[in-house]
Amino acid sequence: MKKRTYRNPVGVSRFTGLLLISPFIAGFLIFTLYPFVCSFVLGLTDYNGNTTPEFTGFENYINLIKSEDFRNAVKVTLKYAVILVPAKLIFSLFTAVILSLEIKGMGFFRTAFYIPSILGANLSVVIMWQYLFTSKGLVNQFLELIGASPVSWYGSPDKAIFIIILLRLWEFGSTMIIFLTSLKNIPKELYDAAKVDGCGSIRAFFSITLPQLRGVIFVNLILQIISAFQEFNAPYMITSGGPLKSTYTLGMLIYDEMFRYNEIGAANAVSWLLFMIIAAAVAVMYIVSGWIKRRDEK
Amino acid sequence: MKTKIFKAAVCLCALSLSACGKKQNSITMPDGKLDKCSLRFSWWGGDDRHEATLEAIKLWNTLHPEIEIIPEYGGWDGWTEKAASQIAGNTEPDIMQINYDWLVSLSPEGDGFYDLSLLSDNSEHHAFLDLSGFDEETLSFGIRRGNLNAVTVSLSGRGLFYNSDVYEIVGAEYPETWDELLALGEKFGKKNLYPLDLDIQSGGTAWYLAVVYVQQKTGKEFITMNGELGFTQEDIKEALDFYKRLEDNHVIRTISARTDEDGNAALYESPEFIGGNVAGVLEWGSSVGKYESVLDENVLEAGPFLTGENGSSGGWMVKPSMLYAISKNTSHPDEAAAFMNFLLNNEECAVILGTSRGIPASSYAENALEKSGRLSGLAKENDDLLEQLDTVTISPYMELSRMKEICNTAIESVSYGTSDTASAAKQMYEEINAYLERVRK
Repeated sequence: MKKRTYRNPVGVSRFTGLLLISPFIAGFLIFTLYPFVCSFVLGLTDYNGNTTPEFTGFENYINLIKSEDFRNAVKVTLKYAVILVPAKLIFSLFTAVILSLEIKGMGFFRTAFYIPSILGANLSVVIMWQYLFTSKGLVNQFLELIGASPVSWYGSPDKAIFIIILLRLWEFGSTMIIFLTSLKNIPKELYDAAKVDGCGSIRAFFSITLPQLRGVIFVNLILQIISAFQEFNAPYMITSGGPLKSTYTLGMLIYDEMFRYNEIGAANAVSWLLFMIIAAAVAVMYIVSGWIKRRDEK
Repeated sequence: MKTKIFKAAVCLCALSLSACGKKQNSITMPDGKLDKCSLRFSWWGGDDRHEATLEAIKLWNTLHPEIEIIPEYGGWDGWTEKAASQIAGNTEPDIMQINYDWLVSLSPEGDGFYDLSLLSDNSEHHAFLDLSGFDEETLSFGIRRGNLNAVTVSLSGRGLFYNSDVYEIVGAEYPETWDELLALGEKFGKKNLYPLDLDIQSGGTAWYLAVVYVQQKTGKEFITMNGELGFTQEDIKEALDFYKRLEDNHVIRTISARTDEDGNAALYESPEFIGGNVAGVLEWGSSVGKYESVLDENVLEAGPFLTGENGSSGGWMVKPSMLYAISKNTSHPDEAAAFMNFLLNNEECAVILGTSRGIPASSYAENALEKSGRLSGLAKENDDLLEQLDTVTISPYMELSRMKEICNTAIESVSYGTSDTASAAKQMYEEINAYLERVRK
């Protein structure tokens, strides 16, 4: 039988591959690398958008590190990320485990739990949050109903951050969906075998489910860390960074420097510092994850 | 290879930065003709202003169907940020309602907006912008570094407005002196109500009233027109002490209580104001409509401007409540000038706009309003009361966002008790001086 040959329609030049990925490369250069490099260069200037940028070296970075606003924003962002990320992962995983049970009508709940993730921190959600957490809001009314003291959610610098955290926790749908998909991929035989050996469901969760989900937990962890460090919308819309700047995140600092104060150089410097903080946090996670993996393999 | 990539990156950035430093080389010069075109016009405000302005645009469209006006409008919150990014990106509307401090922040060299003198006083051809209805002082507010960047729409000052129903229930008279205001707290407190509200949001009325108090007492200006700090550290402390007394005497809500009750909502959207628990507001005469419209008709009334023990009435401030400017990037300066002239001077338009932007600064518009019987309402009452006082013109430097932030932060720390007034005043004094030195450059 005659062997059929196929001809590459775009030729066999060594540039063929390059040609095929050129739309991506062009997009990457124009929309990612170019703004990335420009942002770094702008961070080294004194520039307000209306005058010619003046090169000032690392002055913006030095001023920022000295500034109380920046140090406070770093603290707030870290506090926010440290509380939110584990809480969201645990809550999403817990809900995903329940929703993975083969019970009739579970599809409805899967959809219902995902809806808040679509809403984000938009105006209607902000209004709803105000109805919930202001002094005469539903949450305080409920607390009074059960005999507890009402809580100063918006007015207290210690509690205001929890309004933001609760909003993002409520939007756990995307993380949950990733867990749910992975839970479905765990071979059933593992649970059957464990059951035969007399293993209870809690032990099965810790000995089978969690180790099987290790990879996806790590992915979710990294995604959540990046998103938590970049938080802007929720504090901007719900608390305006207050009270006493207790919800003033690095994202808000970038916005204020850029748009309220026209300090474009300083805003870009904060963006780069935020980028370095996120990179460091992700690097630590990789190191810890590698260490855990090696320990388990021993 | 690495060296080449680095060199390429540096060249690229240098190119982009030279583009950022957009020195104004080429503006479209007026030609004295009106051509067919579309123009974008932006403003901020409440619903009353939006409705009136849209109505005025309808009238323009019937008079000049060849020049279409595309409206862009919204609330004040976030408006400065939006405008600043549009201007930095050269995508701003052709005609803009601008705030007083934008002349300093967005046109530091006086070339951030179109030079309107080219459109109002042109010997070569017809000029569409008529400024004969404005006095010299009013026009001077729009001049930046010798260029006429904007024209004042109206002059306005913040006045005190009270919910007359609540005052009647409590059995209180509107205060006339600072001491009477401080004494009101006790009477209102018995019913768990407040005679006034002050905020540290974008309006920053808390610091504003404290400044008026000290200006009246000392005769000094908080910040001069040249951007110098007129208050001493002691004056700032006195202003903060006064604010604290207002809170301690139950005249206003503490910031914590206010935030707890209203969340992030503006006062005119707050159930506390609409429901009458808070019975007074300090607001610009040109913007009081949004508070008036959420209460029953004629419930909100203008109160007297507070005076000192010896009857001194100085210290109250006025400013151009807003100005109109034309984009330096517009391709249709004649058409934009014609529309701006319509907004400022046209009699029919003036009647439609009413006092939605305060009492018009143009004598043509003011006369038209007077003839039509529409020169009335809270804005007019406030304006009349202000005219009897020895007012101070607000420095545009006082309106800058970072300046407001410094003042609001100090007020907040005093309210929460995280700083005493002496240390808050010290920090504020140092920060303001450092900031003013930087912006004056």
